[in-house]
Amino acid sequence: MSGEMLTVEQRERLRKQMLTKHYLASILTHWFNAASWIFLLSTGLGILLSKTYDFTPPGWNELMRSIFGGLAPLIHWHEVMGQIWLFVLSFNVFFGFRKYFMPFVAHRMWMTKDDFTWLKLKLPHMLGFDVELPPQDEYNGGQKLFLYAVVVGTVVIGVTGLIMTYSELIPIEYQWVIQWAMPIHFVAVGLVFAGVIIHVYMGAVMPEERSAFFSMFTGKVNGLYAYLHHRKWYERKMAEKAAWEARYRAEMDAKLGDPLMGAEETPTD
Amino acid sequence: MPTVKRYAFVIDPRRCIDCRACLVACRAEWNVPLGHTRIWVHDGGVKGTFPDLYREFVPHQCHHCADPWCVQACPTGATYQREDGIVMIDEEACIGCGLCVNACPYGARFRNPETGKAEKCSACFHRVDQGELPACVATCVGGARMFGDLNDPESEVSKAIKGRRVYRLITDEVDTQPMTLYLAPIESEGVYPRPPEPLPAETFWKRVALPLVKGAIAATFLAQAGAFLLQLLKGEDEFEEA
Repeated sequence: MSGEMLTVEQRERLRKQMLTKHYLASILTHWFNAASWIFLLSTGLGILLSKTYDFTPPGWNELMRSIFGGLAPLIHWHEVMGQIWLFVLSFNVFFGFRKYFMPFVAHRMWMTKDDFTWLKLKLPHMLGFDVELPPQDEYNGGQKLFLYAVVVGTVVIGVTGLIMTYSELIPIEYQWVIQWAMPIHFVAVGLVFAGVIIHVYMGAVMPEERSAFFSMFTGKVNGLYAYLHHRKWYERKMAEKAAWEARYRAEMDAKLGDPLMGAEETPTD
Repeated sequence: MPTVKRYAFVIDPRRCIDCRACLVACRAEWNVPLGHTRIWVHDGGVKGTFPDLYREFVPHQCHHCADPWCVQACPTGATYQREDGIVMIDEEACIGCGLCVNACPYGARFRNPETGKAEKCSACFHRVDQGELPACVATCVGGARMFGDLNDPESEVSKAIKGRRVYRLITDEVDTQPMTLYLAPIESEGVYPRPPEPLPAETFWKRVALPLVKGAIAATFLAQAGAFLLQLLKGEDEFEEA
């Protein structure tokens, strides 16, 4: 980033500026998703028997089965919460299609030339090579790429989960569908979780991104963070703000020029 | 007398007349859907050499093996083994994936088309726990089927095998330590276990999915741990922070 080109005064001015990065709906969805992941991952690991597939940490099967009162209730709760999770996420997509989903796809998933360049140069940049990273939009190339994994993963996890939940409806000729749903569910969860480890580190621990972490509670980021990490987005936001201000001024001017408003009510300097 | 029971079926095939009353009793006890059965009587045809000929009937069912492959195949433990040796299916937990059905080398399991769950002989555990015999044993008119606790020297099965040679349906390749003991050698090949045939999904899970997921999680965990270490070594710059 070309943050070093900023003067101290510019940095301070930017730091005081607050921009809205997340709407309330996105914040709630994010934390609902996080809580669901904690619940579903814990119960899912409790279901997968470590004796059969050496994966679940020792004792976890017993712990989860004891908490829920056995394997059957544990599976039941996993299925119920999994379906609530899917319902809320898909409800968000369909209910907020225009308001949230389309901008989400446009800003978070659409890969531009700059995103690909960023992906290519990020590693050399991290390793200290003298490369200039292109300006990024609201989300950088890496975040967009992770989002693809999350979206594809969520769909795969959801479909395979529903197959297992309603497995009794599947005729015996198609039993292979249930058989494949299990390891595919496992792989999808495992790979998304591998990404989540990085996501949590970058979002909550890494100092450069601390502003992004708090934005998941307040919805706001400061201007300096936006300028340094998401220049394109910052500039677009500023342009949008300027456009809104111009529109507002024009509206005010129009109202002020309205003879019905009366000259005596017109505020004067 | 040991406190832990070890249940087993003891079968004297020479006493079986293929009346199949056991199959009827089992169906009535468990409401087994038509077209399926939890127990069988295999008709091996005429065996022996003239003039010592006999017709071989082999009653068989789940052998409640001491090394049950079905239990090893179940990803969740919906199929499990009780301490007394009875191999059980938790119907509420079973999703009917069929891995256990395929894993059983004796073909003693099937997927119930009405419930969508795996099903097999459960040694009538509800009767056994009340001190009764399994329905098939209780109804066997020839006394070919016996059931009881091998750890109890006074049980019918212990007495039946005392001082006698017993035979199990095992091969050089497959020995799951079946707990059905026959009082005569069995010639019919059809009742012997088949070699293991893992399903493609099972192989994928063990050979691809597990190493892939473990590797991916280990890689990202190490990457973030390394980055975190570097972060700690570098220290924080409160004025630089955005």
